[in-house]
Amino acid sequence: MATALTSRPEPARPSRINAKVVVAGLAITLPLLAVLVANLGRDPHSVRSPLIGRPAPSFSLVPVGGGAPVALEKLRGKPVVINFWATWCVPCFEEHAALTAAARGLPDVQFFGIVYEDEEARTQEFLRQRPSAYPSLFDPEGKAAIAYGVFGVPETYFIDGNGRIVDKYVGPMTRSIIAGLVARAKEGAR
Amino acid sequence: MVPILGRILILMALLSASAGALVGFATGMRPNAAGWKWARRLAYAFAAFMVLANLTMEYALLTHDFSVSYVAHVGSRQVPTWVSIVSLWSSLEGSILFWGLVMGVYVAVATWRNADKHPEYMPYAVGVWLACGAFFSFLLAGPAQPFATVPNPAMDGPGPNPLLQNHYLMVIHPPFLYSGYVGMTIPFGLACAALLVGRLGNDFIRPLRNFLLFSWIFLTCAIVLGGWWAYEVLGWGGYWAWDPVENASFLPWLTATAALHSALLVERKGVLKGWTTILVLATYLLTILGTFMTRSGVFNSVHSFTQSAIGPTILVFLAGALLFALVLLALRVDRLGTEGRLETGPSRDVMFLVQNLLFVLFTFTVLLGTVFPLVVEAFRGVQMSVGRPYFDRMSVPVGVALLFVMGVGPALPWGRATAQQMRAALLPPLLSAALLAVAGLLFGVRNPWTLLALFFGGFTAQVTLSEMFLPVRQRMRSHGEGFVEAFRQAQVRGRRRFGAYVVHAGAILAIVSVAVSSTMGSSKEVQLNQGESSTLGPYTLTFVNAEQLKEPHRESVLARVDISKNGRSLGALYPRMSQYENQREPIGSPAVRSSLTEDLYLSIHNIDSASVGLLVLINPMVSWIWIATAIMALGGLVALVPSLRGAAATAPAPVPPAPVAIEGSR
Repeated sequence: MATALTSRPEPARPSRINAKVVVAGLAITLPLLAVLVANLGRDPHSVRSPLIGRPAPSFSLVPVGGGAPVALEKLRGKPVVINFWATWCVPCFEEHAALTAAARGLPDVQFFGIVYEDEEARTQEFLRQRPSAYPSLFDPEGKAAIAYGVFGVPETYFIDGNGRIVDKYVGPMTRSIIAGLVARAKEGAR
Repeated sequence: MVPILGRILILMALLSASAGALVGFATGMRPNAAGWKWARRLAYAFAAFMVLANLTMEYALLTHDFSVSYVAHVGSRQVPTWVSIVSLWSSLEGSILFWGLVMGVYVAVATWRNADKHPEYMPYAVGVWLACGAFFSFLLAGPAQPFATVPNPAMDGPGPNPLLQNHYLMVIHPPFLYSGYVGMTIPFGLACAALLVGRLGNDFIRPLRNFLLFSWIFLTCAIVLGGWWAYEVLGWGGYWAWDPVENASFLPWLTATAALHSALLVERKGVLKGWTTILVLATYLLTILGTFMTRSGVFNSVHSFTQSAIGPTILVFLAGALLFALVLLALRVDRLGTEGRLETGPSRDVMFLVQNLLFVLFTFTVLLGTVFPLVVEAFRGVQMSVGRPYFDRMSVPVGVALLFVMGVGPALPWGRATAQQMRAALLPPLLSAALLAVAGLLFGVRNPWTLLALFFGGFTAQVTLSEMFLPVRQRMRSHGEGFVEAFRQAQVRGRRRFGAYVVHAGAILAIVSVAVSSTMGSSKEVQLNQGESSTLGPYTLTFVNAEQLKEPHRESVLARVDISKNGRSLGALYPRMSQYENQREPIGSPAVRSSLTEDLYLSIHNIDSASVGLLVLINPMVSWIWIATAIMALGGLVALVPSLRGAAATAPAPVPPAPVAIEGSR
């Protein structure tokens, strides 16, 4: 680059490096870049809820289509995945297959759906067309959703064998996301 | 068919930009006419392909071609045509495509206007622009592809984010923002060219300043339009929340404003060349940082479930651009040198420096507040946000100090002021300062910062107006002309100076309005049954009824609220709650009754046929923020116009009134 410059009328000064610019520039840009890189892997959807690390709120809800109520306390010793969903939610529809496949592939983990703000008839119709590998519970007054602080659907809570919430995920999940968070729930029990 | 055409156009744009960047740099190193001609052709080709790609996308949006991935993502048959058109910039991929369009137009215009000027700089500048253009084409070709083919297209799509369909401001805010943001590429390229050549001549600072000012006008408007949109649409009653997205647009504005001022010293005194170059480079880098921060589309929220892979790509580009800028500065900034000398005594020169340092301090403050949550999360794994208190505590003193400098600087003469000159310059404006502060006290202002803002606002307003019309008065006295003729003559001779003071007048108004509106408002939350009333200040609000409204793309519930002020009826306001097709959450739209003194602002919390929960606010002086911005933009245009018309023909700087030796310091 410098070759063409010599022909200019400019007095040919020795091209030296301005140390001040280098030091100040690096002092500002390197930490900034480091912070941005460190946060790159961060998923804004993995929302920290104040409930994380705390005992999961208990509930006793009837499965869609009827049956004996399911109580969370009875499931201690096994990691639990609770997925809040609704038939009117497009992302829930997207993650349905991933959740069902994960539930089939992880028999040592108990999966539940909790239906959020929906009608039972529509839920039954939805599940008739797209069979699920785990039960979905009906939450008629939204008490479980309120207890868990559900903001929107889909939201998924990962609970370890001691009944503590290990993580919360907002938005549709893929199988690899589910597998990663389930692994953390299993670790949490140890 | 359409997706393939779109992809071909993007690839052609990528090809032209990459080739043009290489040709540009090669020609910069070995100047030759053929190389320069090809660099120009490739720049025009890049622009043409970007325009065509955008037209193709508009065609796909308007014909609801759901085989185009972007249309499948944001298109809908249910929305009105204007929403389909503006959907181009409503989501991530489309907004990058639109970025490409704006960039193409800028590069073409900047190349065309300088096709036969600055022969040693321009090839490098075109090289830098097209290198940036190549990056954005690459984004569109891979990581943020808008023209991917959808194998089994659906019959209908979800439509864009309803918040964006809610208000006409959404039609104009993004184009303004992009015109401001992307426009910073042009001064960046020019500054890089100056560093590559190793010289920043007085002739070359002018196109740099003009493109900087042009983009600055758009960015100024865009920032305030964004605030206005938030105010009219989001329903929390404010216009600025120090949200990362807002900061992303504010940061480059701060450095650009500083650069516009230091460029004046480059032009006038031949000093601060390296500093100005650094500010221009920083401005562009901050726009890229802002793009990174808002990578998932301008309006990301917890409920927009789109993950995007372009973050790392933009980060790599940002790191590359930072490295390029740093190496270039380290090697060449000393060559730019200085031709003059900066006075160190009390003078306008020094106030320019103080102003520049305040703006840079402001930039660091906002940058730190924006990035700090990321730092905390990276090290401690705790999510946190730096809220308003930090930003308000830091920005209020800086804003007031800027107001002070904006008054003292222009009041002082260039060079070195004597004690007598200083008294003559600084004492008279204290009159307006005291008047405005006392007026504030009478109106009940008790907040010390607001009073200080009023005091300095009055001071600076008097200085600004007297400087604005100083040439007119001088002409009336020395040439015996009438006001109109003197004004016209002064305009012809010193329009840039006049424009600058108009911008200052707008800025004073904006700072004072922000100070008053943020400290003097009142608010209340009420739950009203049908027929019930509530009062806030002089206003009485009565909930009359809830009305249903059906439109093709949404259903709304409107609360009819009758308003009266001091017993006099002012008609009804209709805040509403809208449910959009294909969206699950209802969206509230506030209703605002604006006047020059204050706004009455109603926003619905909850509504059914029998009762409504309302947030009621009285926001004083908010209208003046919008007016002030219009004044600033107008002032910027006034300052820009003479330089657009054959800049070479006119004198380099307007004849200043004070005894100043123009370029005499050389």
